Amino acid sequence: MDPTETEKEQFSKAQGELLFNAQLRIQRMFKLNVTISWILLLLFLVFLFSGLEFSIGNAHFSTIQLDTEFIRENLKFIASGIWVTIGISLLSILLATILALLAALGRLSKFPPIYALSTFYVSLIRGTPLFLQIFFFFLALPQLGIILPGLYAGVLALGLNYGAYMSEIFRAGLSSVGKGQREAAFAIGMTPGQMMKRVVLPQALRFALPPTGNEFIAMLKDSALVSATGFVHELMWRATKVGRARFHSLEALIIAAVFYWIMTLAFTSLQSRMETYLARGDR
Amino acid sequence: MKKITLITTFIIILSTLITACGGGAPAAADLLEEIQNRGYIMVSTDPNYEPQSFLNTAGTRPSDTICPSDALTPAEMQGFDVDVAVEIGKRLGVETCFATPDWDIITAGNWADKWDISVGSMTVTPDRQEALDFTSPYYYTPAMVGTLSDSGISSLDDLANQAVCVAVATTYESWLEGTLDLPAEQIYAQPPAGITVVTLPTDQECAQALAAGRTDFVAYVTSDTVIDANLAAGMDVTKVGKAVFSEFLAVAIDKSHTLPIDTLLKAVDDAVIGMHADGTLTNLSINWFGTDLTLDPSK
Repeated sequence: MDPTETEKEQFSKAQGELLFNAQLRIQRMFKLNVTISWILLLLFLVFLFSGLEFSIGNAHFSTIQLDTEFIRENLKFIASGIWVTIGISLLSILLATILALLAALGRLSKFPPIYALSTFYVSLIRGTPLFLQIFFFFLALPQLGIILPGLYAGVLALGLNYGAYMSEIFRAGLSSVGKGQREAAFAIGMTPGQMMKRVVLPQALRFALPPTGNEFIAMLKDSALVSATGFVHELMWRATKVGRARFHSLEALIIAAVFYWIMTLAFTSLQSRMETYLARGDR
Repeated sequence: MKKITLITTFIIILSTLITACGGGAPAAADLLEEIQNRGYIMVSTDPNYEPQSFLNTAGTRPSDTICPSDALTPAEMQGFDVDVAVEIGKRLGVETCFATPDWDIITAGNWADKWDISVGSMTVTPDRQEALDFTSPYYYTPAMVGTLSDSGISSLDDLANQAVCVAVATTYESWLEGTLDLPAEQIYAQPPAGITVVTLPTDQECAQALAAGRTDFVAYVTSDTVIDANLAAGMDVTKVGKAVFSEFLAVAIDKSHTLPIDTLLKAVDDAVIGMHADGTLTNLSINWFGTDLTLDPSK
């Protein structure tokens, strides 16, 4: 007996559902396995720093020993630098974003001085080390009568530095918006300013924001350089000072490393959420 | 046309910003007066060294302090240098606040008015005197070579053709390189020939690197007090021979400060001499080092 039309339909629906469920199961298994592997890797890392010594046959193995008492005593002190680190990074990324946008727009300008200013800035900043720039703003600006507190000299240096790098991201974002879009905006009578604000920027930012989050994560760690000038008591500064004075640099640096990693993990998950949100228009 | 207006506006804003910041003539006649007017003295020190200068991780900032928010208060610091700085502040009638820049920034001078004096166990050398003015020494430490107990090194001659570690921009580095410019009576020994100098950010990295099993160098040169602190922390190190030179450690003031510094130099010098005379420095030295390091070894 041949199946009726409705039976055929139900059959293919069930097939589809089965296929879909199977794919879902594979995905879930993959995620589960990744999580288990992460936990195993983490346990191995903890074991590496456990200070245990053991022998397998004739071979003797030892792991890295840490002074847990020192860690307990100084954990809180080092941890209180976290907010300074995050604060510097947030202020700097704000400044960097503004500068990067201006530099990227300048790069698209047909007016020579603006184009020159933008390329000159990017070239100069990208051509010199960040550490040098931080000292420059700390030590050179006072001669111009501009005496910035250590924190703001550091934020200025970090912001300018990352702004130069991020201008390339924004430039890529701006040029990712097709020529047709601009022509269409002109065709319906928008001014260049309106076209930028209503058509180009909203689309460009969608491409530029995820890499900006990436830059922010990099900046979280580079913010440690700011403390060399002596007025910014962030995570790394606290770790190096207590570590050196008590001859436990390794322990102190590991405490800092753990905090940096946790911060990075938190911001990475924030970034991936942002990416999903921004990609909602894509098909 | 529109663009040109935009650029002109931009340039005008920029130039106003620069001139606006450039204004504001200093009100005080000299640095001492300015310190007394603001009520605190900003002291730079290097909190990498116990017992000279290190952080008090349990200390909290007092609520009634007038120190700027990015400076550290005496409650958050501890050590011999810290106590000396606080006592100098007391004798000038002002509060003491601390800035903690990297050591090589302090010794280089040109502090851009960021801090007033350095109380950081700084050795007086002619090189540094070109950029900095020094008070009378407030204590004296012997410079010493340290090594691991089982290194087999027992005299300076054993160091010949070996690598030795020192901190960057220190007198120990100059001594190893043969450029230490101190009065002859302060130098007791010359480094043996063929030494490779390894520089790390601070003395503390040298000892820790050796203790951690690094073999990039066999010994380190530092202050006798630092090796004592290494020993007190349970590190398996030992001193090689006797002191190689004697360091006269003094308070430094930046010559390039925008205000005249002579009156401040005189006032701090008077404070140091007074602290020698009334036994304050001796007491602090015995308290922190267990011995009196405030006596001039050349006398």
